[in-house]
Amino acid sequence: MLYMNSDILRRLQKLNQLKLTDSEERDVLAFFEKQSAELESLSSAIDTENVERMVHVMPILTVVREDVVVKNFTREELQAGAPETMDGYWQVPRLVE
Amino acid sequence: MKLYLDENKNAAARKVVLNDMMLTTELSTTAGSKMLEGYKSLFEAEAVTRLKAAGFEIAGKSNVGELSLGLLGETSYFGAVTDDKGNLALAANEIVKTTDAVGAVGLDANGSFLRGAALSDQVAIKPTYGTVSRFGTVSVACSGETVCVSAKSVADAQSLLCAIAGHDDKDGTSLSDSECQRLCADAPRESIKKIAVAKSLALSADEATRAKIHAVVDALKAKGIEVEPIDDSVLIAAKTAWNALMCAELCNNVSKYDGVKYGYRTKNYTNIDELYTNSRTEAFGELLKTAILFGSEALSTENYMPVYDKSLRVRRVICERFAEIFKDYGAVLMPVCSKTAYTEKDVADNKYISFDEASYIAPAYISGLPAVVVGGVLLVGAAFSENALLELAKIAEEG
Repeated sequence: MLYMNSDILRRLQKLNQLKLTDSEERDVLAFFEKQSAELESLSSAIDTENVERMVHVMPILTVVREDVVVKNFTREELQAGAPETMDGYWQVPRLVE
Repeated sequence: MKLYLDENKNAAARKVVLNDMMLTTELSTTAGSKMLEGYKSLFEAEAVTRLKAAGFEIAGKSNVGELSLGLLGETSYFGAVTDDKGNLALAANEIVKTTDAVGAVGLDANGSFLRGAALSDQVAIKPTYGTVSRFGTVSVACSGETVCVSAKSVADAQSLLCAIAGHDDKDGTSLSDSECQRLCADAPRESIKKIAVAKSLALSADEATRAKIHAVVDALKAKGIEVEPIDDSVLIAAKTAWNALMCAELCNNVSKYDGVKYGYRTKNYTNIDELYTNSRTEAFGELLKTAILFGSEALSTENYMPVYDKSLRVRRVICERFAEIFKDYGAVLMPVCSKTAYTEKDVADNKYISFDEASYIAPAYISGLPAVVVGGVLLVGAAFSENALLELAKIAEEG
């Protein structure tokens, strides 16, 4: 269960836009190994064969709000915390050459 | 040692500390992460609005572990906090202990808020999921995270809880007002006459923690409350399941931190991939990275059924077990953590210690049930039983 090796871990880092150092990789592999063992025990300890999934612990009432205009933030307010903007746009490196 | 990450020096009376997971407009919100250093929100958490409406003043934002992960805030980018004995402490509890602040309010998903209160001999309440709005919090694990309160006394903790509980249209998981009002101090409640002790969880804690359990049990027995040990083998499963669910939800919640719209941006990039990767790699700490990777793998095609789906089913089994227990008992008593003090060495020796310590808090978080920390122990009750739990807490407090 939860099989992990260096190759899978590198793929996982790429997927999550993260880069680990070699020493971090070793620690994370050990962490996965431990979690895998715990999940294995969980699997045998608790039979969930005929148990329904429980996503929400409390009943979720469909939230339907009145269709009223509320305060909206301006472009300037929304971009105030941006690392880089230009002419009212968020700025990123060129995506298409 | 940084207790406050941002402070309101003008706060005068009925001061409340917010952990830095709660958005505020006047003070910055960092969630203990380099990613959000200096970040100011355009809106504030609903709980903050309610605290102000009830006459509380915000004293400042207390240091937290990055995204509130970690054992006791030690994973904060801004450094760990220790108490006067050199043990790790949660900044919110240290501030409450050493100043005239009434208490602290903060978002918690992995138990550090409850742990901090227990280790500082303070009272904490994790209310029933859905009774306090999570609008305006830095989300970690939406299906279980809860805005909690802590204070020096049961009465202060109760007054903070009453101030923030209530329905909020802005939170899709918020319960109805009539349900939330069951938390009010004057709401009718059924006093608890009999409690259970989670046997193996209690035995897994160290001697000093067990002594705290005995002290609370003795105080309750002296008031005629029956106490019996119960089999907690199902509740123990909560740790593994909650760790998986929490990381899976966390992984999604932090995907928005990309160095583009707000937050930290690396200086080291030549293309968009490098911008994303280097911003996140430089800004996130190791525990958070590990949790993201674990959560991502739990949601992968190969592991979705055996890990994520399995954990959701285990959640139901745990809720059903609690329901069964509450037919005979009003609350379940268990430790909050395995020891009465932790040092930085404990974390250096086991950097994933917070995942191990989740054994004690996970049953309450995965099930959304209310829990009260008093006398260094945890009392978990049925949904909306906060007032009945607080009656027990008062007995324990008076000792």
